Amino acid sequence: MTRFSVTILGLLLLAFTSAFGAEGGHHALPLDAQPLHESLPISNSITMVWLAVVLIVIFCQIATRKMSLVPSGVQNFAEWVVESLYGFLEGLMGAHLTKRTFWFFGSVFFFILTSNYLGLIPGVGTITYGGTPILRGGNADINMTAAMAFTFALLWFYWAISENGIKGFIAHIFAPKGVKGFLFWALMPLFIFVGFLEIISIGIRPVALSFRLFGNIYGGEQTLEKLMALVPESISFLPALPFYFMELLVGFVQALVFTLLCAIFVKLICDHGDEHESH
Amino acid sequence: MMILLAAAAEHPNALEALSKTFGLHGAFFVAQVVNFFLVIFVLKKFAFGPIQQMLEQRRARIVAGEEKLKHIEKQLAESESTTAAAIAKANEDAVRLINEAKEGAAAFTEQKAQEAISQAQQILAKAEAAANADRERIATELKREFGRLVASTTSQVTGKVLTAADQSRINDEALAKVGN
Repeated sequence: MTRFSVTILGLLLLAFTSAFGAEGGHHALPLDAQPLHESLPISNSITMVWLAVVLIVIFCQIATRKMSLVPSGVQNFAEWVVESLYGFLEGLMGAHLTKRTFWFFGSVFFFILTSNYLGLIPGVGTITYGGTPILRGGNADINMTAAMAFTFALLWFYWAISENGIKGFIAHIFAPKGVKGFLFWALMPLFIFVGFLEIISIGIRPVALSFRLFGNIYGGEQTLEKLMALVPESISFLPALPFYFMELLVGFVQALVFTLLCAIFVKLICDHGDEHESH
Repeated sequence: MMILLAAAAEHPNALEALSKTFGLHGAFFVAQVVNFFLVIFVLKKFAFGPIQQMLEQRRARIVAGEEKLKHIEKQLAESESTTAAAIAKANEDAVRLINEAKEGAAAFTEQKAQEAISQAQQILAKAEAAANADRERIATELKREFGRLVASTTSQVTGKVLTAADQSRINDEALAKVGN
């Protein structure tokens, strides 16, 4: 049996179980994550995040349990993934910034990817406790995406100021770049105005990041739900099947987009290239 | 996004409505921030830390290996040049020794030949001297014998007892005739 056949069979099984796991009826996925307990701040997406953390810990333990200089098996795969992402970010941000920030970008990428793929597993959104689904895609909750985006926003300020200094940071936003003498002063009002626009842009970034990821993941899950509801339950997996492929792609692309955008924002504020050239 | 902002500006409670619609909840938000930091901690401690350490260790080992390789290559080149120089010197020495041996052998041969010639000449001279001495001795003996025979014959023919002076004279005359 070829690998392709196994993959197709797996996806068919996934769709089947997903369809039959819907417990007798399709419903629209609510926009907000539901609390699992009245007095505790635990929602069904938080349990999903915990599950993701547990899986990540298990994978890391397996991958790094018996590390050897000549890697094999899971260690080889883990090293390949980490090294590829590190190399990719290094090409984008440079060696210095990547070394400083990889712990964050690596975590963001792997967490979003794990969380997105976990959201596609049958049972997520269908296994309930007291009528409330106990699991919900981690990134299909605006609280999770906002938590990542706003954490990044704070770290962005920290990295920007530690790399440029307060004066350099303000100059980076407001001062004209690449011009000298009369032109510098002439363009100053324009650049101050542009600087204010930049501040608005900086303020909007975490909101945009949050809603972009949330929208894509929630939209994908909602699409699968709605497509399953289009046909009788016995064949409800069929219309959703092609979209599982798409969701696998979307899960990866969204993890990459979020990480890339964050990396670019850091690169833009910490990049001294233009200043060095103009001096 | 601009639409959202415009809506928020138009309606003061828009942000609240937005939060309610999308389920943005303060406690959940804080919980997710904590969870996110938990993810960061877990990944940093159990994945990135050990893996990057291993990658760094491997990189350092590769660099060290490369350095060692360069050192070995340098040593090999030095060794090759030293060996080549040693071989050249050995060849030179060997050629010199062979030439010296050849020259020595030739001189020795010449010396031995000369010695042999000299010895041969000496042997020849000795043999010649011995032969001459023998011949002299034999000639003397022959002469003596001849003289004695002549004197004896003369004595028998003449029936006269010869004196020593007669014998000596007859000997001398006979020998003078034989010698001529």
